[in-house]
Amino acid sequence: MKQRICYLYMEIRKTCKIIPRVILQAVLLMAVIGLLVVGGIGSMKRDPLAVSVDIAVAAGEDNIMTRMALGYVENMESVSHLCHFLQVTEEEGFRMLKKGQVAALILLPEQLVEGIMNGTNPQVTVYFPKNAGLETMLFGELTKAGEGLLRVAQAQIYGAGDTAVEYGLTESISQMEGEIDSYNLAFALDRLALFEAEQVSVFGALSIVHFYMASGIVFFLLLAGMALYPVVQREPAAFSLQMERQGAGIVWQCFCQWFCGLVCMGLLAAIAWAAFSTAVRCMPDSVARQLFPGQSGGAAIGLRIGTAALILITVTTFLYMLYSLAGSRTGGVLCIFLLSVVMVYLSGGLVPSLFLPEPVQAAGERLPTAYLIQAAGAFVTGREEMLGGQCLLRLCIYTAVSGAVACFMRCKVR
Amino acid sequence: MITVTDITSAYGRKQILRGVSFTAQRGECIGIVGANGCGKSTLLSVLAGTLKPSAGQVLYYGRKAWSDEETGRMRGDREVIRKMTGYVPQENPLIPELSVYDNLRLWYPDKRTLQQEMEQGFLHLLGIGEFHKKKVSKLSGGMKKRVSIGIAMAGMPPVLLMDEPSAALDLLCKEDIRRYLQVYLERKGTVVITTHEESELALCDKLYVMKDGRLRQVDSGLRGEALTDKL
Repeated sequence: MKQRICYLYMEIRKTCKIIPRVILQAVLLMAVIGLLVVGGIGSMKRDPLAVSVDIAVAAGEDNIMTRMALGYVENMESVSHLCHFLQVTEEEGFRMLKKGQVAALILLPEQLVEGIMNGTNPQVTVYFPKNAGLETMLFGELTKAGEGLLRVAQAQIYGAGDTAVEYGLTESISQMEGEIDSYNLAFALDRLALFEAEQVSVFGALSIVHFYMASGIVFFLLLAGMALYPVVQREPAAFSLQMERQGAGIVWQCFCQWFCGLVCMGLLAAIAWAAFSTAVRCMPDSVARQLFPGQSGGAAIGLRIGTAALILITVTTFLYMLYSLAGSRTGGVLCIFLLSVVMVYLSGGLVPSLFLPEPVQAAGERLPTAYLIQAAGAFVTGREEMLGGQCLLRLCIYTAVSGAVACFMRCKVR
Repeated sequence: MITVTDITSAYGRKQILRGVSFTAQRGECIGIVGANGCGKSTLLSVLAGTLKPSAGQVLYYGRKAWSDEETGRMRGDREVIRKMTGYVPQENPLIPELSVYDNLRLWYPDKRTLQQEMEQGFLHLLGIGEFHKKKVSKLSGGMKKRVSIGIAMAGMPPVLLMDEPSAALDLLCKEDIRRYLQVYLERKGTVVITTHEESELALCDKLYVMKDGRLRQVDSGLRGEALTDKL
């Protein structure tokens, strides 16, 4: 046992001597990644996505009722964010449609409002351009929705009217129509009252900032592993055998090296996190709050520490396995770089996996990086639900398998 | 005292050692010569406990190091091997990033013993005290070999196994190593050495030639062509 402890102590001493070099390399790496991130953020910095659909409206007559109806539709909650109606003449409307200046042209017939009121329903014609773009498609959908609403509203009015006539309540028809109108206006046309707002994001439950923070952490840790070689490199075979003679077997030797690698990675991660936190403190409060939404308290801190430990253990074991498989510094570094990029990409860490082909998505979901990003998400947000039991189990399995493969390779090569 | 009886060893289907037997008394030096790949290092690995033989028996001072007598299966007693033998492999078992002192600390867990050894013991004799603060990666081949011998001498084992200790060293180093061996033998240690060096062969009380995995004793005074003819 004394020999084993002594070996662990020596490995730690060796790591302490190497660590300044490892940190220097990692700092350089951080600087490069930082520059890339700053460049990326700069190029992405623009106003939030604003879709404005210009619609040309040509009214057959310019009466107050038509203008009121148009104004009402334009100010509707669901339309006002998206559509901008331009009152034009019919010729002007067609010209604008041809030039692609508007997404659609609506031709309103004469006596439109009166027709709706008296049930003759004059036809409204909507022209879309041939090669419809996103705006046109959007307006098309809105039109369909509006048409559906109108159809239901008219059915209600006619149904109520017919029923009233059948039961001899003709004097109540106008009152009933008024009430139906007010209900429609209060509920059917107010989308917020009818539909539950649900935010759907390609980043899942994470915000875009947190998602890229999570994938950035995983990517950084994997790439930082390129500097880890001196710590986890194979000792000379003669040394390994001599140690085994002394009672410190190959598994113990692997454990000691892995442990030193873990300490090293932990230190690197702590330095990187400290640097990041310092940078965040220098940012405006609104940005800082966006990055760290304020999950605090013992549970969140405990979760963060636990998740960080899990991520570090998994990443270190994975890196140790790669170095053991590669057998040399060049091979290991190349292997880590290529695998990190490919795996993070396949797991949707660079481009959200929803935008990737389905087979790639399916493959990416099974990679350890997918679960590492998920765990890093829990670390960043401090939200427990981000780290599911399956994620935890998978990471433990990946760690165990990587460790076993690394030990096997070291035994085999020796 | 070493008693090696009918040791056989194989790598897969290839038989490396075929019934190797010899004995060595206290204070005796056994030299083993042979062409490259004849099995010298394999024999030393078996004696050092880093390779399990297929059959046979190895006794150190009457204590079983390797034996298949009782169960029919080869069993090794690592404790006996570790206490009884010091092993100097061809490759130096050193961590290049650490200093000589740190490397020695691995094998001399007791700090005081190490200090004593460096001041007046065998390590002093090896001259390690002069460069113990140096990083191993900065040492010459001869210095590294001295440290390797120093490591093998940790705990002063009665048997020293040396696998071509003078290979690729300059004349001065070879002479130094020869002198250390002489001192060790004078202190009644037993040495098993594989070598091609005549200066080291001069120390040998018994000389064996290994050929095709078999060990054959020859006249310890054989040198030059006469010895080469036997290989």
